[in-house]
Amino acid sequence: MAAQPLILGEMPSLSKLYINAAAQAARRRLLGTGDSSQLPEESHEVRGVSVDVENLTAYQHLLGETASDVLPAGFIHALAFPLAMSVMNRDDFPLPLLGMIHLGNRVEQRVPLLFTEALDITARVENLRGHRSGTQVDVVAEVRRSGSNAVCWLGVSTYLAKGIFLPGIDKPTAHHGKPEFRAPDPTALWQLGVDAGRAYAAVSGDFNPIHLSVLSAKALGMRRSIAHGMYLASRALADVGPARSDSFTWEVVFEAPVFLPARVALDITTGQDGTGSWHRSDFVAWNPRSGRRHFTGSVAALEGVAAGNTKEGEAGPTDTALTGLVQEERV
Amino acid sequence: MSIDGQSATGPDQSARPTAGATGLRRAVVVGGNRIPFARAGGAYAKSSNQDMLTAALDGLIARFGLQDERLGEVAAGAVLKHSRDFNLTREAVLGSALSAETPAYDLQQACATGLETVVGLSNKIKLGQIDSAIAGGVDSASDAPVVVSEGLREVILDLNRAKTLPQRLQILSRLRPKDLAPLAPGTAEPRTGLSMGEHQALTTAQWKVSREAQDELALNSHRNLAAAYEAGFFDDLITPYRGLSRDGNMRADTSAEKLASLKPVFGRNLGADATMTAGNSTPLTDGASTVLLASDEWADARDLPKLASVVDAEAAAVDFVHGKDGLLMAPVFAVPRLLARHNLTLADIDYFEIHEAFAATVLSTLAAWEDEEFGRTRLGLDGALGKVDRSRLNVNGSSLAAGHPFAATGGRIVASLAKLLHAKGSTDGRPARGLVSVCAAGGLGVVAILESV
Repeated sequence: MAAQPLILGEMPSLSKLYINAAAQAARRRLLGTGDSSQLPEESHEVRGVSVDVENLTAYQHLLGETASDVLPAGFIHALAFPLAMSVMNRDDFPLPLLGMIHLGNRVEQRVPLLFTEALDITARVENLRGHRSGTQVDVVAEVRRSGSNAVCWLGVSTYLAKGIFLPGIDKPTAHHGKPEFRAPDPTALWQLGVDAGRAYAAVSGDFNPIHLSVLSAKALGMRRSIAHGMYLASRALADVGPARSDSFTWEVVFEAPVFLPARVALDITTGQDGTGSWHRSDFVAWNPRSGRRHFTGSVAALEGVAAGNTKEGEAGPTDTALTGLVQEERV
Repeated sequence: MSIDGQSATGPDQSARPTAGATGLRRAVVVGGNRIPFARAGGAYAKSSNQDMLTAALDGLIARFGLQDERLGEVAAGAVLKHSRDFNLTREAVLGSALSAETPAYDLQQACATGLETVVGLSNKIKLGQIDSAIAGGVDSASDAPVVVSEGLREVILDLNRAKTLPQRLQILSRLRPKDLAPLAPGTAEPRTGLSMGEHQALTTAQWKVSREAQDELALNSHRNLAAAYEAGFFDDLITPYRGLSRDGNMRADTSAEKLASLKPVFGRNLGADATMTAGNSTPLTDGASTVLLASDEWADARDLPKLASVVDAEAAAVDFVHGKDGLLMAPVFAVPRLLARHNLTLADIDYFEIHEAFAATVLSTLAAWEDEEFGRTRLGLDGALGKVDRSRLNVNGSSLAAGHPFAATGGRIVASLAKLLHAKGSTDGRPARGLVSVCAAGGLGVVAILESV
């Protein structure tokens, strides 16, 4: 992590990144992938990022967040997303960006950020490792108030390049047998229209064609369009509500994709500490007809983490998404 | 509350703290919070009523440490309200940091909504039904509901009930192009078709209120509000929202000349007698306000301030439909009744907060109170009710400068007045006393007396 960051003049354009990713995929198909098992060490950074308040309000309305001046944790993810993509779009990034699967996501919202604050955002990739069906990698994004060193928001997104096996990257030894999922009684039922992907694309800027329409999804080999994972996770976060307070961790592990339109059943279990105040909320969502699980996750109080006193990097959140796949225990 | 040497002014009733209804405990104003008011289409153009009310609530909760508290009740309302917002206040509570076990209800009494929530919740506290409450109000002229025409509405409802395709086609054939035009809300009175401004223009002419007097009142409103901001008066009454930290309508640098240069917008059929301009009328505004109310015990137990007690209130209505009285003149009748109940006169009031729907509304009200004949024939008094000391009127500015998001005005006034009264403390050996007067559509008015604690 010693490498100097590559400072970009402005937030990269997602649509250009997607086009570049498609070109890169074609190029690699022709020329073959380089056999590198090395991740680029250079991180990318954009300084002085400002938030468009109209976009913020539209995001808050769509996700069901209170329309306060505080940036929702999922909104910050969307804000940092193009930068994260730009790191995975580098020529020296060893995995093909197109078709990567978002396995899970972990966010530490350490300090609330207001839309009026200018933000410095960095992104890097790390922890290239095996998966039973390919290779996975973590994209780590950090958000600071401009000019400050303290990380206010930390996000770790775990992606899987399915069917890609790199030399020297071990597969995990065994496929942990998933215990049978038995759906609890839902606490909420979401009705997602066929336009849910387009609506989230409009507020997040993530116009990945697999989310936009049946046709564009089919072009990429999907049978129908699917909901954005972060849309689902962010709605669950909004559903946990204001009890979560200002600083928290928010984790999600994605399983079966949500094909649109859809009905999604959700259960949120609230855990309280000894004094009766909110401690954590665990959520699970599933298809009420098939019983297939779409995602699980949690929002938990972030204790003892003040801005700046946590060492970045080695804190070990990177394994959480993977281990989360086999974690079934509830608090 | 000290009744010391100063009170030896004789058996004058007014020299004592004003008694509430006997045997009841007090309801006190702990404090308030609002978001700055924005001009319609401005900083809050995309914010809903629920957004703004939640923002004002959360600011109040943060200020007084009410996170996770289960309060007795929250009541608020909006005048321009979407039908989906049938539970607006409860939804705002659920989106706020209050305990989700805090009950809430919506109230709607046109522009008196905000003040009426204060009155209703104070009464519950006085009765011992609840110990704490938040009163409030919100309005958005930007995010106003737009409804479909009656023709389209009936077609949609009938289509829902239709069972066969021919039935549906027959129903659809009733649609006419004009049915498709949406209807935006107006400020016209349902029974007269006249806008509020046109109604006030009639009253303004009746009471012969001059253009100069109206402009002077508007100028004072801007100057007083700006001075209050400069003095830091609003530092603990306002939470910034969406980049706004002061009321967007305030023009600290306006002048008599600027105001005089504006063309009349209401009562133009009066020709040379038309006096009401955009400068001496309130603009359409977005905003929200909240007031924390409590019993003494509740506030003391949490070591919270007690600014003023809500002594009493009175509602009135006038028969404006055929012009017996002006649409916005109900407070003219409510105030003398309320004062009489407490053996008070206008001279016993230290601060007047008369909502500036229009500068002319305030001036018509004052003129009616100063009129001997009106006092005798309409108010049932021996003569004129009296004169309001203008140096005590809207001393920190009012709606002309701050703006008037309809239901949010009551909360703005009550919180500001409570703070003002608390700072004044006692006067002449009795608590400082304030009078709030709010006029409303439908010929309604609500007035209240607050007293320093």
